[in-house]
Amino acid sequence: MSDYIIEMNHITKRFPGIVANDDVSIQVKKGEIYALLGENGAGKSTLMSMLFGMYEPDEGEIIIRGEKVKIASPNHATRLNIGMVHQHFKLVSNYTIAENIVMGMEPVKKTFGFLKTLDQKRSNEEIRALSEKFGLEVDPTKVIENVNVSMQQRVEILKMLYREAEILIFDEPTAVLTPQEIEFLLEIIRSLRRDGKTIILITHKLEEIKKIADRCAILCRGKLVDVLDVKETDTKTMANLMVGREVNFSVDKPKPDFGREILKVEHLTVQNEDRFEVVKDVSFSVRSGEIFAVAGVSGNGQVELADAVAGLLKPSGGRITLNGKDITQATIRSRNLEGISYIPEDRQNVGLVMDLSLSDNLALKNYFRPPFSKGAVIEGDEFIRYSDELIEKYDIRSGQGSGTIVRSMSGGNQQKAIIAREIELDSSLLIFVQPTRGLDIGAIENIHRQIVEQRNRGKAVLLISLELDEVMNLADTIGVIYNGRIEKIADAGTLTPGEVGEFMMGVGGRHEKA
Amino acid sequence: MKKHDWIPVLTVLLSLVLGIVVIALLGKNPFLAYYNLLQGSGLAPKASYAGHKGMITDFTSFLNALTPMLLASLSVLIALKAGLFNIGVSGQMLAAAFVATVLVGYSELPAVIAKPLVILIGFVVGALVGVLVGFLRHRFNINEVVSTIMCNYIVQYVVSFFINVFFVDPVSRQSKNINAASRLTLVDAAVGDYKMDIPLGILVAAAAVAATAFLLGKTTLGFEIKAVGNSSRAAEYAGIRVGRTRVLAMMLSGGAAGLAGVTYYLGYFCSMQPRVLASTGYDAIAVALLGNSSPVGIIFSSFLITVISKGSTYMSSTAGVQAEMASALTGIILLISACGAYVRERLDRWKENR
Amino acid sequence: MNTIIIDGLSFALPLFIMAIGGIYCERSGVTNLAIEGLQGFGAFCGALFAVCIAPSFAGDSPVPFYLAMVFAFLGGMLFSLLHAMLCIRFKANQVISGVVINILAMSLTEFMTKQINASIFQAASNKFVLGVSSRITVPGISSVPVLGAVFTNLYPFEPVIALIAFIAWYVLYKMPFGLHLRACGDNPHAVDAAGIEVGKVRLVAVLVSGALSGLGGICFAYSISANFSSNIYSGYGYLAIAALIFGNWKILPTLGACLLFGFARSGGYELVKLLEMPSSYQDLVMVLPYVLTLLMLVFFGRKNHSPKALGVIYDKGAR
Repeated sequence: MSDYIIEMNHITKRFPGIVANDDVSIQVKKGEIYALLGENGAGKSTLMSMLFGMYEPDEGEIIIRGEKVKIASPNHATRLNIGMVHQHFKLVSNYTIAENIVMGMEPVKKTFGFLKTLDQKRSNEEIRALSEKFGLEVDPTKVIENVNVSMQQRVEILKMLYREAEILIFDEPTAVLTPQEIEFLLEIIRSLRRDGKTIILITHKLEEIKKIADRCAILCRGKLVDVLDVKETDTKTMANLMVGREVNFSVDKPKPDFGREILKVEHLTVQNEDRFEVVKDVSFSVRSGEIFAVAGVSGNGQVELADAVAGLLKPSGGRITLNGKDITQATIRSRNLEGISYIPEDRQNVGLVMDLSLSDNLALKNYFRPPFSKGAVIEGDEFIRYSDELIEKYDIRSGQGSGTIVRSMSGGNQQKAIIAREIELDSSLLIFVQPTRGLDIGAIENIHRQIVEQRNRGKAVLLISLELDEVMNLADTIGVIYNGRIEKIADAGTLTPGEVGEFMMGVGGRHEKA
Repeated sequence: MKKHDWIPVLTVLLSLVLGIVVIALLGKNPFLAYYNLLQGSGLAPKASYAGHKGMITDFTSFLNALTPMLLASLSVLIALKAGLFNIGVSGQMLAAAFVATVLVGYSELPAVIAKPLVILIGFVVGALVGVLVGFLRHRFNINEVVSTIMCNYIVQYVVSFFINVFFVDPVSRQSKNINAASRLTLVDAAVGDYKMDIPLGILVAAAAVAATAFLLGKTTLGFEIKAVGNSSRAAEYAGIRVGRTRVLAMMLSGGAAGLAGVTYYLGYFCSMQPRVLASTGYDAIAVALLGNSSPVGIIFSSFLITVISKGSTYMSSTAGVQAEMASALTGIILLISACGAYVRERLDRWKENR
Repeated sequence: MNTIIIDGLSFALPLFIMAIGGIYCERSGVTNLAIEGLQGFGAFCGALFAVCIAPSFAGDSPVPFYLAMVFAFLGGMLFSLLHAMLCIRFKANQVISGVVINILAMSLTEFMTKQINASIFQAASNKFVLGVSSRITVPGISSVPVLGAVFTNLYPFEPVIALIAFIAWYVLYKMPFGLHLRACGDNPHAVDAAGIEVGKVRLVAVLVSGALSGLGGICFAYSISANFSSNIYSGYGYLAIAALIFGNWKILPTLGACLLFGFARSGGYELVKLLEMPSSYQDLVMVLPYVLTLLMLVFFGRKNHSPKALGVIYDKGAR
């Protein structure tokens, strides 16, 4: 018997066109907090999905408590006392907390001696007792859709504990939480360790690892780079290993030459579909030749901010001015014509019509005006000519050129197509939301170069990114958004990444006062 | 340049094979039965003809039956392109035909005015019902599947009420026959030695197919419809007014259904039966599917389905196979074609993942 | 007044049982437009069986009737297997599958009715003639004014439906399976994560829907025309869909909707008779359920929630 509770040896997993895990081996001791660190797409989630039985490895073996196992399904993983909190919660929105937790293992009573009936009272009591035992306070009778995200996460944790999980996997658990909630979660995780649970934490946030993890495995592009003892390593080293090179790579960027004010946002307030205020009284402006980058943790209102400027969400208050013209109430089409280009976060569902051809998609914002159409009649040849031109200019690779259905193109080339289309509109304002999400290094550098090029040509750029590196590298001006409010606006040169990070967490500005 | 154009062909072949098995099990000659279908539709010569009848007359009466099917499928197709299911083609057909019957069919207008007027009214009334459905979706977010089903029955019973109270023919228990001047089919027209039914509606249908192909392939509205149908979020992002596009698509879809209605009730037939909706509207959904959702494709698919239904009477009298076998065969074709989408998707995935 | 209650109930209950089937199906996340076809096919199976065994029983024996119900139940279930296969296994569009199944049911039963009549009974007929169903009057309670009418002149299927409806309600809301089923219509991923197979739950839901539809179909065949013919396809299935939408995909409100539709119908008929209007005015009564449902959606659409995952094909990989 080894002293490891989990051993994953020489795991390789391939997906079409990518090796997600390449000969990765990790060993986890019972009762430790083991962190998996890596950038987006480094293969952390894939590795854990195999431990949880969602995929099977192409090569390699998994050993749990000294026994070699083949985990065929999440069910099987549960029987091995492995539990996982997914990044996207798997909860039934119109059920109570107790119903969500017990589902699949419900306490039952026999009505009339034979009818298996749900014992609601007992399940409520059991959940209450369970939540008290682990210090995870919940009201079992509350309905999921009426409780906040942090509470929902607690429900997910209780789901694992109810199934007597000994090995708990957390996939990016803090991405959706506020700093206070994060603190609370970390405390929960510590107390779970005290109860003898083994915890695996998937994350790309160094501070969290530093705070609670015992050991940390670093993955980079599918390969295991190193396993470190967290106490003996500094965050800088971890960061360099995670990215696979020196972190501070920067883009060649000439001195800024700001011109007139292009976009002006005043006291903007936006509600989301659930009538919840997600952007609160935000004011800023972007000048010609300026990259204004909005930094912030996911879910703090930045996407809604971009949608409101582009017209996809109607603001509930405030004013948006473009080139001196009030566009607060303008339609999407008229904003586009007025000079807004928008590279949206969700490129597959919003940025592209996936089942239309590449040429149709490249003309998606132009099709109604000459030379693409005359009157109501489309000029098909012009679509093809224009599309061929852009394919050449932006190096968009596709199977069958202009006629390719974009669904069949790779993510990187889909993004290239969107960027090509939006840049060619020659708008005075370009909005980029998460432009490099999920792309490889080469593509990222290419997109960064194009963003800077647009800024150099005198365009105003509004960049919204969750990657602090990206913000620090590209921004002329940084605005930090937290909980729907812009907490800080400053010249990029005057802020260190650490300071920006503090504002992102809503705890910035303490040093200034001191 | 659609991929997997051969899938519908395979579907049909598979169904025909199934049909052969069934007919053979019934102890009849399947190939004779199929040949009878062609003969009954005027696509193959019969052994003998009654006076003034011939292959050509069979064929024109086949076209007469084809016309409403083609238009109804077109209606489904246009809605489908905008991502909407028009389950209400039958109701739209009946509504349009009823209004046209009452306003023109019972009038004394001369043919040159009456016939175009019937077509116009058919289109307008169908379009209005379509607009209502589109509006309910846009303004109140009522799923068009639900609203079209409700509309079907509302139309069915309201029309039935008016027929029974005001326009009933006491003998046939149907609505009184319309005047020949307003009928879109020339009945028993003498051409040479033959007396044939000439469906003028087939010209309307042909024009409608061409117009739809042009609309979807060559116009900005068509582009918008396709974008909305494929991804309403992406369409909205591109500045397309999604609600307006949906209402317009439903208008055109309803209009085509209205045309189907007038060619059916004021062409193929000349009266309406109370409390009955034509099955054409439901068949059309499947025909549109079988036709690979393309205007050219539905020419073939509605041709096929009409051959089977139109030829069935002759098949029954000659091969001794129950005429209802034909609609069962149609049902099987449609069933298999519903699985076609799955096959297509699997092939696409497989290609992607290679 | 009594006639209104008696006729209203005998119409509302078969409708209700079909709507419950629809609720099972749709609450599990599978759109069901196939109820019309399923009830027809079920009725066909039941009627065929009844016709086959009728000669071996005395003319007024209720046995063929009950056996017909069993076979309608099984027949509907068998045919719904097609819907399940298309929607769950082949991931076909659920609306299209429903439409296709309706067309297929209609054409198959028409063909087979004629074929069977021709080859087995040597008769050229397109219907199966069923015996007239006996009626039950509960002694004692039936003489209570108004309420008594509920227990007067009952079709034998009415108490059966009431019992099955209660069981269906109990299973859906009180038993673990019901909990899983309703969860499938909201978030199938949660069900999967809880170790329950979404496909299996949905399969059972579709089969229940088919069985209950078949049951409703044979009841209509007995109560309305006492025979099986293509007249069975006159929109009861779609009316059941209207009822379950009206009832917001919940069993008790749907019962309310069915009773409303049933009493409106029988009441309307009585009114037409009373005012000595021609029977064609009944058509205006028939419009009511559909108009009411549409109006309700227009005015209370916000409070009307279809199951979240309804019509969405479940893909394990997608989030």
